[in-house]
Amino acid sequence: MSGLLGTLNLGSRALQTQSQGLALAGQNLANVHNPAYTRQRLVIQTESGTGEGLDTGGGVTTVAIQRIHDSIVERQILGETSTSGSWSARQDALRSAQSSLGEVLDGSGTLATGKTGSSLSTELDGLFNEFQNLAASPASIPQRSVLISQAESIAAKLNQADARLDGLEADLNESVVDGIEDANALVASIAQLSGRIFRQESSGAGSANELRDLREQKLQTLAGLTSLEAVEDDTGALNVSIGGRLMVSGGTVIETLAAVDLGGGRQGVATSAGDGLTLTGGSIHGTMEARDGALASLRTGLDSLAGALASGINGIHRTGFDLNGQTGADFFEGTTAGTLQVNPMLVSDPSRIQAAGQAGASGDNTIARAMASLAKEPVAALGGQTFAGSYARTVAGLGQALATANTEVEDQAILHNALQARRASVSGVSIDEEMADIVKYQKAFQASARVVSIVDSMLSEIINLIR
Amino acid sequence: MRVASSTLPGNLVQQLHDLGNRQNRLQTQAATGQRVRWAEDDPAAMRRAMEIRSEASANTQYGRNIGGLQGKLGSALDAVQGIQTVINRAGEIVVLADGTKSPEQLQAYAAEIDQLIRHAAQTANTRHGSDYLLGGTRSDRPPFVVAEDAEGRVASVAYQGSPDVAELEIGPGSTVSAQISGANSGTTGRPGLLADARSGADVFAHLISLRQHLLAGDTEAIASTDRAALTTDQDHLLGQLAESGALQARLEVAASAVTSRTTDLRGAYSQEADANFAQTIEELTITQTAYRAALQTGADLLQTSLMDYLR
Repeated sequence: MSGLLGTLNLGSRALQTQSQGLALAGQNLANVHNPAYTRQRLVIQTESGTGEGLDTGGGVTTVAIQRIHDSIVERQILGETSTSGSWSARQDALRSAQSSLGEVLDGSGTLATGKTGSSLSTELDGLFNEFQNLAASPASIPQRSVLISQAESIAAKLNQADARLDGLEADLNESVVDGIEDANALVASIAQLSGRIFRQESSGAGSANELRDLREQKLQTLAGLTSLEAVEDDTGALNVSIGGRLMVSGGTVIETLAAVDLGGGRQGVATSAGDGLTLTGGSIHGTMEARDGALASLRTGLDSLAGALASGINGIHRTGFDLNGQTGADFFEGTTAGTLQVNPMLVSDPSRIQAAGQAGASGDNTIARAMASLAKEPVAALGGQTFAGSYARTVAGLGQALATANTEVEDQAILHNALQARRASVSGVSIDEEMADIVKYQKAFQASARVVSIVDSMLSEIINLIR
Repeated sequence: MRVASSTLPGNLVQQLHDLGNRQNRLQTQAATGQRVRWAEDDPAAMRRAMEIRSEASANTQYGRNIGGLQGKLGSALDAVQGIQTVINRAGEIVVLADGTKSPEQLQAYAAEIDQLIRHAAQTANTRHGSDYLLGGTRSDRPPFVVAEDAEGRVASVAYQGSPDVAELEIGPGSTVSAQISGANSGTTGRPGLLADARSGADVFAHLISLRQHLLAGDTEAIASTDRAALTTDQDHLLGQLAESGALQARLEVAASAVTSRTTDLRGAYSQEADANFAQTIEELTITQTAYRAALQTGADLLQTSLMDYLR
């Protein structure tokens, strides 16, 4: 009689297996739009029978629920996520710098009317034009006042740009520190997940697929922040290193990241032990690159423009004479973009502007004219360029860095999409496939249920024989 | 390749995003007519456009300088012509005041000359705005000061202006001056208008000498010295007038150079910064078509799955 009972057993195992298949299809379908989800497959095998006599077999049994993934693609995605993170951070930072500077071109129609928007470059042109106007009426007090307010507005533009860039730099430093904190939180949770995965899988409860998905997601988020290496060793433990330093080994956090002041509030990255780290990707790296690269050269450009402007104009202005025959005063004070201002003495008394080349000749404009012609002269401190030329180069330098970041971000997006598509082609859920599976499991379930009901009726027949 | 269910919508969203971005960029270009607005759009073009804009700004300033100079020069010419009228009248008096005239008549001429001197001094103290035109660089005070003798006649007219003149730029490296020095007793610099050591002209001194001779009834001295002196003054003034006329012509040439340079610069700026309309619209149309196609095919694909056929 073991034959029929064995078949009953076989039927019930089959029912169980088909239900598991259906449940798994349901799980896959539920996660069809979860980007972190890796599709799972039921691994079934033939169950052997008793092994006595003519063995018809023991039916089917589930051996595993397999997570279908391609670890090579997943590692590539981590690498590209770091690169994308770095370029996006640079793009964000430089775009902010570009708007802080506020340098835009107006339509060509404005060129003829001279009614261009107010920016540092138009104010700079305006300053030299006002020196020309002063040369045209050197004794005119209203003209002198106009020159002073023009000079004040260029100083204000430079101060403003410097203050905005200061603020931007502070934001970038803050975002480096925030990034490091986030990365540490992720490092800790990756270690914790690895521990749980190890415990679950070694306890024989089967593969911890959902925890692995979660850990992969955390790794990707971490890769967006910093470059990393993630390698699974022979024992199945995941080792995560950042900048060549091992941070996580299995379930243990070995080291964490720490922010370090590189001087002047510039935040850098070090290990918790205090050793400097060199990152090659991730938003933390991108932020630091933008700050120390294009942003720093923009600020140097503005500072040297302010310095050269002050020393160039002052050098000539000092030798001139004001309306009262006095000499030796500076036009500008301060030597950097943040500190440049018009000599307050001239602001309170525009007659002190030293426009004349000799005392007692209020109609003399030699000095005003010399200051005006500085506009066309190459300045040694600016690498032999004119003021306007040097500033245009500074702006174009920032634009070039931003344009490169824009292109890189676009290229990375294409690469990232291609890799995601490759990952999805292996790990993504297909509704069509799962629907087919559901039908398949449903039919198999129905068939097995029929086996059980037939065995049941056969057993009844036998029991009725006895009565 | 196996296509997962999330691949299609994911790609569609990405494609729509890209096309949307491109449409936005092209639409902005079409609406503003500008290809480059921010440095990131085209850094090299931005740099060139900024330099062109600087040059255009300086060029516009040359235009303003020229306009100012033309105004000043016009006023100066009026003054010169006023003084010329005085000299011409004095020249007539020199001819009229011969030995046939009675002493009373000569006295009357002398009184007229005295008035003419005052008129000439007043004309020479002409202002343009707040500046005295004939004071050279000493433009803040009247260049000519009239001193009277005990009888209330003009004893002397002293020049307290400067022999130097201030120049102004009318083009790159090209300067001119609309200031006129009233007198130049030196041998360098621009000639003085009313008194110049090199040509021997000295309007006020010669008029005063003429008046003195008229008062004294010395018609012989008038004929022998004053006539020649006044002729020198007249010639000098004519020379000055011719020079001012030449300057005016030069300013006009410079003004038209500024205008044509503005046009050139505008063209160059447009080349760098403006959008090519035909190309922009064409690209925009292509992008819009692609956008519609993506929407259409995407909508069809997204709605279809095996589920539609299972019952």
